[in-house]
Amino acid sequence: MSDELPQCEVSPPTGSSESSPAPSRRGFIATSTVLGGAVVAGGVIGGPSLLGPEEASAADALPSSRVSLTVNGTRRTVTVDNRTSLLDLLREHFGLTGSKKGCNAGACGACTVLVDGRRVNSCLTLAVRLEGVEVTTIEGLADGDQLHPLQQAFIDEDAFQCGYCTPGQILSGVGCIQEGHTGSPEEIREWMSGNICRCGCYVKIVRAVHSTAGRK
Amino acid sequence: MSPQPQAAVGAPLSRVDGRLKVTGKALYAAEHDVDGAVHAVIVDAGIGRGRITGIDTRSAETHPGVLKVIHHRNAPKLPYRDNSGSNNPEGRRLRVFQDDRVRFHGQPVAVVVATTLEAAQHGASLVKVRYDAEQPSTDLTKAEPDRPTNYARGDAEAALRSATVRLDLTYRTARNHHNPMEPHATIARWDGGKLTVWDKTQWVVGTQTELAAVFGLETDAVRVISPFVGGGFGTSLRCWPHVVVAALAARETKRPVKLVLSRKQMYLGTGFRPSYEYRLRLGSDRRGRLSAAVHDLDAETSSYEKFTESILAAGQMLYSMPNVSQAYRTVPLDLPTPLYMRGPGFQTASFVIESAMDELAHKLGVDPIELRRRNEPNEDESSGLPFSTRRLRECYTVGAREFGWHRRAPRPRSTREGDWLIGRGMAAGVYDTARMPAQARARLDADGTALVEAAATDMGPGTYTSQTQVAADALGLTVRSVTFRLGDSLYPPTPPHGGSMTMASVGSATLDACNNVRRQAINMAVEDRESPLYGVAADDVVVRGGRLHVKNDPTRGETYRRLLARNDRTHLEADGSFAPPSGPERHSFYGYNATFAEVAVDATLGLVRVRRVLGVYDAGRIISPKLADSQALGGMVGGIGTALLERTVTDHRDGRIVNANLADYLVPVNADVPDLKAIYLDGEDREADPLGVKGLGELVMIGVAPAIANAVFNATGRRVRELPITAEALL
Repeated sequence: MSDELPQCEVSPPTGSSESSPAPSRRGFIATSTVLGGAVVAGGVIGGPSLLGPEEASAADALPSSRVSLTVNGTRRTVTVDNRTSLLDLLREHFGLTGSKKGCNAGACGACTVLVDGRRVNSCLTLAVRLEGVEVTTIEGLADGDQLHPLQQAFIDEDAFQCGYCTPGQILSGVGCIQEGHTGSPEEIREWMSGNICRCGCYVKIVRAVHSTAGRK
Repeated sequence: MSPQPQAAVGAPLSRVDGRLKVTGKALYAAEHDVDGAVHAVIVDAGIGRGRITGIDTRSAETHPGVLKVIHHRNAPKLPYRDNSGSNNPEGRRLRVFQDDRVRFHGQPVAVVVATTLEAAQHGASLVKVRYDAEQPSTDLTKAEPDRPTNYARGDAEAALRSATVRLDLTYRTARNHHNPMEPHATIARWDGGKLTVWDKTQWVVGTQTELAAVFGLETDAVRVISPFVGGGFGTSLRCWPHVVVAALAARETKRPVKLVLSRKQMYLGTGFRPSYEYRLRLGSDRRGRLSAAVHDLDAETSSYEKFTESILAAGQMLYSMPNVSQAYRTVPLDLPTPLYMRGPGFQTASFVIESAMDELAHKLGVDPIELRRRNEPNEDESSGLPFSTRRLRECYTVGAREFGWHRRAPRPRSTREGDWLIGRGMAAGVYDTARMPAQARARLDADGTALVEAAATDMGPGTYTSQTQVAADALGLTVRSVTFRLGDSLYPPTPPHGGSMTMASVGSATLDACNNVRRQAINMAVEDRESPLYGVAADDVVVRGGRLHVKNDPTRGETYRRLLARNDRTHLEADGSFAPPSGPERHSFYGYNATFAEVAVDATLGLVRVRRVLGVYDAGRIISPKLADSQALGGMVGGIGTALLERTVTDHRDGRIVNANLADYLVPVNADVPDLKAIYLDGEDREADPLGVKGLGELVMIGVAPAIANAVFNATGRRVRELPITAEALL
């Protein structure tokens, strides 16, 4: 999955032009570093902070930036430490712990969320470059009490055991269906291979994605 | 057998916690919202063996947000009382920050506590440690082993010398890391002298007793909470040093501390399946009747603890033979201590024994299943005990039929599809049916719902669901009316959530507690003049859907709700327990499987692709078929990893693990996994435990790796005696 991540379609907060059409993982890391540097140069912008006084004083002393993004339909403007990943922003600052940290290196997919509708590894995405984007996490997928069809399919097919990779699998599955990579079980296996399930529920994950795609 | 109708047990129900897991609301260890928690990041030793000669923490301490850096020079001395009955192996456990010794590459040498995760991570990178480094010893094949553990029956060496057919085979298995998707994580909070930890653990009681021992506390002063565990596979069966680090950091900073290991740190001291070098010599007659087996095996352990596992049992009881000798040597190395990993011992032994049986079958020109049938024992020859149940022959028959074994070409390298060589292989599997004492408690409320609690864990197999099923039937309630709670040391104690013993042990305790509550209600009814059941013999009353009635007359009865309301009772409650019978065992208890695999091997590139796997299991009664199916398929995926992908690589020059991440330590991904099928033989084991179960989680993985290895041989004619089987070995 990592090879087709759309990170570079996300508008960077500064005028960087480091994007390339199909970034490799290595290319992505280099790009992020450059963007991080650009933001550091921009210095502290200020703005409302989610941090407590102690954390805020730490953040003030460090390069931090203001960023506005929409998470599960709610617009949020925050000041974040420039080192903060989208995953850590979600988990540690927004209390949205449904997105999981499995490897923090883009190798496992547990942190998969949708950014402007495209699946990304949130652990590899710096929060400060997400100005204006819309993020969908597992907490925002259901319509009230009505589960998303893929969430229901995961329950029905028993497509998980421990459940830790499940939010990432489901968001990756939603992306996979939207991308149209669900023509056959073989195609789904390939396009869902960026999400590791150590409990080994792959057969049922494929069934859940396949049956959900078929209902569309 | 329970007199109760079995409506929930055996029904293919979805997980009771499924909705929490698909909505992201299931809270894993690091996700509990503990007010005021700060972050801790461990600094790992940069040498494989030696002494710390200096620690410079100035840059770290002045980094904004950093609260404290703790290391052996400023850490308080900790009591580290002995903790017998824990999963700590023989030896002297690693004591965090208590001395200057480095015993393995990556050992915790300091911890940085900061107000934000970013500050703690950056702070950890700023700690400068100076070492007096020594050459570590990390190579299993070059180090001095401990004295062996031996087993012998008959005279195996003499029998081997006189055997008509002899095989002398040496196998090697790689070190494997559990790698659950959830990293180890602990949040620790002190309230005066009381410690609460939210921890990733497969045994809240074990973590509780270990923390009490380390900090010199009464057991009751420690509470461990672990409602969801994001996979374990054995890595969380022990309270590892990082849990102590979190608690220590919380005490030193007087703040709740959250400590999450990085993926890399998951390779640096949270256990692993040790690497083995395993020589097996077999003797048989021309028909393949085994006369002797000599097992010589060396396994990794650490320099400070002697880790052993059940590697010898299968070689003593899986096949009939009069002469067996075994020598099991642990080899102390400058590594962290291993720990049980899925199918501990049996998994490795089964790869060796089942590969060797396949080699013998090939050498004799006997079908591999037929060879195994010819060596099927009538009793457990290691103990002389009868098997409680052993339906391995049936596993072979069903498996051969479902897999289409008759279509397998016995001659290797004789089936080809384009570039691909096709092969089919099989193996038998066996795993000990473990049971340990457990307790549970049940409460039936006046509204007709019930709450059952035990300090158990659910790392994924579905403890919440299967215990709910058992409780629902025993209470005569619908599954919806029953809540099962686990993962808190305040609940009645249970054994470790490992060794496939949860269903047998905790399940039987749950059954007992719920039976006790049901009997209380029945007794209340039959003694209550106003009850329609007044005067009925208690044994003639059953409960179904929350309504008590005469077994043969469903019209005569009343609901729990009416009964309790009329008697002014808010609830009924009872404790329950289970313990295996005391005294010597009267049966030999094992679960069995026959596993079949089909592979395709690229004739030019050596690439191995698994095409299908079938497992047939004699696992006793299946409580939760839908979840059991998932568990079996997951075991097959784990087996594919062990067979073809997983290998922790150490640079012996400095003792560093070079592939401590999920990009270089390969685990199966979706594209590696084809169609998989599991079949459980109907039945139960009445001798094993009140539920008739034999355990699943380990058994379903055992046999997969040798079945794949044997299929690779059938495909290519190349016998690879080293796991994982990689393309290089087949070129």
